[in-house]
Amino acid sequence: MEQPKLSVILLSGELEKLQAGCLISSVASMSGMEVNVFVTMEALRSFRKEVIEAKDFKAGLIGQEMLNKQVDLFYKLLENGKEMGNLKVFGCAMAIDLMGWKKEDFIDIFDDIIGVTAFLGKAAGSQVIVM
Amino acid sequence: MSEEVSITKTIDARGSYCPGPLMELVKAIKHGQVGDVYELLSSDSGSAKDVPEWVNKMGHELIYCKPEGDFWRIAVRKTK
Repeated sequence: MEQPKLSVILLSGELEKLQAGCLISSVASMSGMEVNVFVTMEALRSFRKEVIEAKDFKAGLIGQEMLNKQVDLFYKLLENGKEMGNLKVFGCAMAIDLMGWKKEDFIDIFDDIIGVTAFLGKAAGSQVIVM
Repeated sequence: MSEEVSITKTIDARGSYCPGPLMELVKAIKHGQVGDVYELLSSDSGSAKDVPEWVNKMGHELIYCKPEGDFWRIAVRKTK
């Protein structure tokens, strides 16, 4: 049987949306799905080393409590999903070019930096969640 | 009923939030041997629904899932 597929597109820099998208991704991966995560727009900024070190996230009430209680944050959930199944993370080439960022500005989680056409190929025939 | 089950390892994930307890269990099962029984302790009430769902989906065997005080005790046998 072909492995069921899930695609998750992370757009928002809000901590709650990042957390929800990555939580769904990691659980899907642990449950035997092929998961492809595409990170773009403000979400991409949240994967920068300096942002993660400073915990400089846009957080509402629940996001703030996640920080207070030191729950495993979105990037950790993705790492777990990778470790436990078939999950890949892709950074958006357009946003990186636009901002003049470099791959080494980001935490070591991206499998590749790709464009929309390449991601659409990976996402073909999958369920899609946009955050 | 199944009090004679021998537990390979008890994983105490109390205090951890979703999906932490499930993740701990999945890790143990992934690295364990077929036939191993893992008992998960979780204070996250979602675990009582989510863990059996995962076990069922992945084809492992749920031995019990019972409340005990303010936490849940869930045992799973790795079947493959």
